[in-house]
Amino acid sequence: MGDIPKSDWKVQRYLYTRDISSAPLITLLLKYVDEIYQPRNEEEVMEILKMAKQEGATVIPRGAGTSGYGGVLPVKDIALFRFSSRKTIMIDTTRMDSFEINEDEQIVECSPGAVWWDIEKKLNKKGLTLRIYPTSAPSSTVAGWIAQNGTGVGSLKYGGIAENVTKIRVADFNGVKEVEGKDLKYYVGMCGTTGIITKAWVKVKEVEDMHYYAFHLPPHKAGKLVYEGEHYAALYLDEGYVKLKNQSFGTNLPEKDTLMIATTEKMSEGDEELGEEIWETRFYPMRVRKLGPGLVAAENVLPVDSIPAYLNALHRMVKQPNGSEIWYVKGKKGAVLTFIPSDERKFLNYALTWRQSLRALRTAKKMRGVPYSLGLYLSCESKLLLKQDYEEIREFKKKIDPEDLLNPGKVFPKGVFPLIIGIGQKVVIL
Amino acid sequence: MRVEKEINDLVTACAQCFYCRVCPAFQTIKWESVSPRGRVYTIKGLIRRKIELEPQLVEDFYKCTTCGACEEQCQTTLPLVDIWEHVRAEFVKEKVAPLPAHKKIRELAEKSGNPYGEPQEKKIEWIKGYKYNESGELLYFAGCTASFRAVELAKNTVELFNKAGVEFTFAGKDEYCCGSPFLRTGQRDIAYEFFKKNYNEWKKRGVKTIVSSCAGCYRTILIDYPKIAKELGLDWDFKVMHTSQLVNKLIKEGKLTPKKFEAKVTYHDPCHLGRHTKVYEEPREVIKAIGAELIEMDRNRGESFCCGSGGGVKSQFKDLAGAIGKNRIQEAKETGAEYLISCCPFCKYHLKQMAEESGVNIKVADLVEIVNNLVGSSDIKAEDIKCG
Ligand SMILES: Cc1cc2nc3c(=O)[nH]c(=O)nc-3n(C[C@H](O)[C@H](O)[C@H](O)COP(=O)(O)OP(=O)(O)OC[C@H]3O[C@@H](n4cnc5c(N)ncnc54)[C@H](O)[C@@H]3O)c2cc1C
Ligand code: SF4
Ligand code: SF4
Repeated sequence: MGDIPKSDWKVQRYLYTRDISSAPLITLLLKYVDEIYQPRNEEEVMEILKMAKQEGATVIPRGAGTSGYGGVLPVKDIALFRFSSRKTIMIDTTRMDSFEINEDEQIVECSPGAVWWDIEKKLNKKGLTLRIYPTSAPSSTVAGWIAQNGTGVGSLKYGGIAENVTKIRVADFNGVKEVEGKDLKYYVGMCGTTGIITKAWVKVKEVEDMHYYAFHLPPHKAGKLVYEGEHYAALYLDEGYVKLKNQSFGTNLPEKDTLMIATTEKMSEGDEELGEEIWETRFYPMRVRKLGPGLVAAENVLPVDSIPAYLNALHRMVKQPNGSEIWYVKGKKGAVLTFIPSDERKFLNYALTWRQSLRALRTAKKMRGVPYSLGLYLSCESKLLLKQDYEEIREFKKKIDPEDLLNPGKVFPKGVFPLIIGIGQKVVIL
Repeated sequence: MRVEKEINDLVTACAQCFYCRVCPAFQTIKWESVSPRGRVYTIKGLIRRKIELEPQLVEDFYKCTTCGACEEQCQTTLPLVDIWEHVRAEFVKEKVAPLPAHKKIRELAEKSGNPYGEPQEKKIEWIKGYKYNESGELLYFAGCTASFRAVELAKNTVELFNKAGVEFTFAGKDEYCCGSPFLRTGQRDIAYEFFKKNYNEWKKRGVKTIVSSCAGCYRTILIDYPKIAKELGLDWDFKVMHTSQLVNKLIKEGKLTPKKFEAKVTYHDPCHLGRHTKVYEEPREVIKAIGAELIEMDRNRGESFCCGSGGGVKSQFKDLAGAIGKNRIQEAKETGAEYLISCCPFCKYHLKQMAEESGVNIKVADLVEIVNNLVGSSDIKAEDIKCG
């Protein structure tokens, strides 16, 4: 394997075998990755894939490891209902972090491990800015977000990441290809199960003057106001979340349901100081984790008109302190992220709190909602999320990866996980 | 490994978000085991017995300059530097640390009173010819690096004090290492010994304010000493200043009127002065007062990139310290500045070396040296500074 940086040291394997989730019991079904590679270019990615194919090893791509759906976690073969053991290789894209800005076309050509906020800082020097980015932008990578099919800041105006990349390059066992247009669906949100993204062309825009306004509104009124104008981004914090935020930030924000709108338009009402304060802390949604210490989260995407009822249901259901934040998305939808601080070392209590996450999903589904992402934990929901594309993408996966070496167990339901989560959702309503 | 409940709570709060990827060690080495997130997860793994305390783990844990860049970004506001130092002290207790270079420094300090193993008597040599008092309310704490390795800084400082009519006392051979190298590397006991010696000396001389020209000493005396005093049941009523703060004050009061410094400069925030003690503006105010054109590096103030030499890294991991330092030099070069100014002999010494090694033509100087050369005349050889 030439001189590609590599580690198979036990401690390193332990450190790379995780994401931000910390699911109770589920670790029993996971194993450590066997080897971690840090390719520096596309050729090295191909070299690793070739070796994996020869050895029959599975391959997990990893960006910054900031996703929370198990997409970078290696599953025990037995948990995939396979009884012969396969080696698992991780491709860590840390060293593939370069990017090039094309000012004229307002496009950034990004290597997979390029970090959103590094890009933004360079763009700003040229009077440009990202159209959208996740609130994990200080650390998360371009390919990681594409593979998660994320939405984030700016998605109110510009939609999700799929709408904001013009083209990607992907490596699989047959070589490297460029993909654009409707074929992007074979890769966006696929957690690397169909190939390793080695480049992405991301749309950017000129910097505009932005204003931030805060309003204390119930969710149904907030949803209405958000879509009345052509706003850039909107974040709703329910009263419970503001309380948790105050406790963890040591601030004194008014403990009421609060909507923040970031917009280029001038609005006649709204508290600009509070709006700016909420905007400035947008990258720190998980500070509330301090309160557990530990956190259980539920994240579902719902039509805006279902959100008030969904929040009501959550308030009735979750007895311990909790709070939700909502980033509104183009197409009258909101990504509702609910946080329940819980000490992850208190096993039973923590496991019971985790059930709330599944209950929230079940409730969301009843209200035309879908889970935010699939990864490993929610592969059982892929038909719901991918809808009519599911079969087609599954066939595509079988064609390019017949031995299921590319990130097995993710997105496409297989083995024990989908069963557990499926049963879990049914049991929790009892 | 057993750790106090407080440390256990803190590492459990880590969100694994990786905002701490700004870490200079991670940016250089690129593996999780040297990243702050990796360190936190390592501690969790040791507590929960998922991994074992092995030499490579300990070594990687020490590849950290204690610069505090991670802490500045932390999603959950963890006091990461305190955590690192606490765990290093645990490693020492478990006898898997200190690392060889740190052990050697301790041996030297045990014999001589300073980490360079120099005779303490030499601390009195450089000050010959300058005016100072045997006792007094203001004490100049030169620190070991300025006393033995960057004497021009110590000389420039006291010459400047003399020019401004600042009355001060100096402990000379009775000025012991502040203990910083030992607190940072987990060897706390010897730091306590030095604390006691310095503390008694200061009390004896009637000191009320301590001024230091070393960012590391300043941090240690300002932050660690009051905690140690409390632990030992001693009162702590000293005021602590860094020379940049005193010089700024003297300029503002009109006691120093430096000439104009017509040069493009950039300023490197020493981690122990900036992030650790939040002294960001006073050095910049001095730079403004001398009329230099300040061009900031991209990473400045809280986001400043470490010089690479702190936390025991330069002594144990020369290549790592060198790579971090060269990264910073490159950033300084990109500003187009002629001078790279800092406020710490340790940063200056290392950055100067790295500029030379990477063939970058930038003059590295301490702020006090520059100011002293702008006030009256000076006999001190300051090869890099052309003033007036
Ligand atoms: C504080 C915080 C805020 C967050 N905010 C948001 C938000 O606003 N919106 C949002 O969508 N998410 C958010 N997230 C979740 C997460 O940060 C995002 O999903 C992010 O895009 C993941 O990027 P990553 O680089 O960490 O990818 P990873 O977690 O490393 O990987 C994510 C998935 O992508 C796959 N992958 C990685 N690299 C490649 C590649 N080169 N080719 C193919 N597949 C690949 C992995 O196998 C995995 O399945 C947040 C997380 C945190 C901690
Ligand atoms: S203190 Fe500095 S070197 Fe140490 S882990 Fe934090 S960022 Fe890295
Ligand atoms: S920034 Fe803080 S919370 Fe995030 S991974 Fe690093 S140590 Fe953990």
